[in-house]
Amino acid sequence: MRQLFNQLISFPYFFKIAQISFPYLFLLSILVILLGVLWGVFFSPVDVTQGEVYRIIYLHVPAASVAQSIYYTMVIASITYLIWRIKMASVFMISMAPLGAIFTFLALFTGAVWGQPTWGTWWVWDARLTSTLILLILYLAIISLFSSFDRRASTDQAVSIVVLIGGINLPIIKLSVEWWNTLHQSASITLSGSSIDNEMLIPLLISIFGFYLYVTAIGMRKMQVEILKREISHNWVKEIFIEKR
Amino acid sequence: MKSFYFKTFQRDSKVYLSRSSSFLGPIVFFLITITLYPLAFGSDEEKLAELSAGIIWISILLANLLSHQFIFNEDFKDGSLDLVLASGKSLFLWASIKIFVNWYFSSLPLIFLSLLTSFMLYLPFDAALILALTLFLGTPILSMFGALAGALTLERGNIVGSSIVIPMCLPALILGILAIQSYKNEELFFYIFLLAAFLFFSIPILIASCLGAIRLHFE
Repeated sequence: MRQLFNQLISFPYFFKIAQISFPYLFLLSILVILLGVLWGVFFSPVDVTQGEVYRIIYLHVPAASVAQSIYYTMVIASITYLIWRIKMASVFMISMAPLGAIFTFLALFTGAVWGQPTWGTWWVWDARLTSTLILLILYLAIISLFSSFDRRASTDQAVSIVVLIGGINLPIIKLSVEWWNTLHQSASITLSGSSIDNEMLIPLLISIFGFYLYVTAIGMRKMQVEILKREISHNWVKEIFIEKR
Repeated sequence: MKSFYFKTFQRDSKVYLSRSSSFLGPIVFFLITITLYPLAFGSDEEKLAELSAGIIWISILLANLLSHQFIFNEDFKDGSLDLVLASGKSLFLWASIKIFVNWYFSSLPLIFLSLLTSFMLYLPFDAALILALTLFLGTPILSMFGALAGALTLERGNIVGSSIVIPMCLPALILGILAIQSYKNEELFFYIFLLAAFLFFSIPILIASCLGAIRLHFE
């Protein structure tokens, strides 16, 4: 187990694994997302209160879930970097932050499209919407840190400090925003059970799973690019690309 | 013999006093922002009374952003930061003193001014006292987050700073406003205590991460 971990955090080994597994993971994720979304859109029953509109749930919930999960994994990576100085952790943070921003934006966008027919407005200042918007701002602030240092190590450390402080602060922000205002329907799927009918739940879960696969695949690709940027002058990079020819 | 920390306090106070822009800047900014709101929303008494607590909090939040770059930047430029790092003194205490002096000169005047301006914005007197109390608890949080942002961007000035500071400070703003809104009933203490908890919770974490951020410029 320890050996496997040590191999995964070494740049050349990870690069090779990612190179091999990316096409399969990517294809699989597209297939799973298509399965979940198509099933949800064409074969699952119509919602009693919301009608056909609710079907955007098959994009909205997975995007929102992925957007938050990326931040939590980034917090874990930042702790890893600050304690053990594992470079792979900073590569992970820097590659995942833009993905997180994109999915947060997607969640807000699909939410707005869903909110227009059901609530009658594109946007309400509700607790969850507001905290998602703050999450988006936080992601953008982290991305804007990328270019404000001359040295690589400074960037890594600054990003991990901000990610960590944001991670401590995010639950506090969420709680305080909830005291401030709440309108959004409460979470339908919790660990103890779900309030959604099985016929809608199964495609939704498939779609969420597909989104996670997609983020894993794209994230690996982005990490490969980031590794290449840092290690371009190293021998192992030359070896890989010369062997290919 | 005066200790190192007391001398830091004295020296920083002298620096702030001798440079008028560092403590007058936030005051002028605050007063101008306060004046802008009635000009934009109209001078209707009821409307302003409803908005006033939020107006004052937001203006102080924004005015605070102006003074953050002064906390560590000058020491970094003239090289005294290197000496402090090499001296082996308690950096935690040193950074706390520097942040305290910054708060003392940039936020404390604004808190007293907020009592005066609350009359201009028709806030009831009881609510104005609560406003001052929440500002007492809230502005140190702003100063510490500002110090963190300033420490992160020592070389580049304050470009990235505000986008980090403002989202992080939201709990302080929300709790402060909620406390003022419920100034007539029991819930007031709930929000005040939460705000105090947020302050004491963030002191060790933020100052420690300030030091981490300073060190990354010397690695």
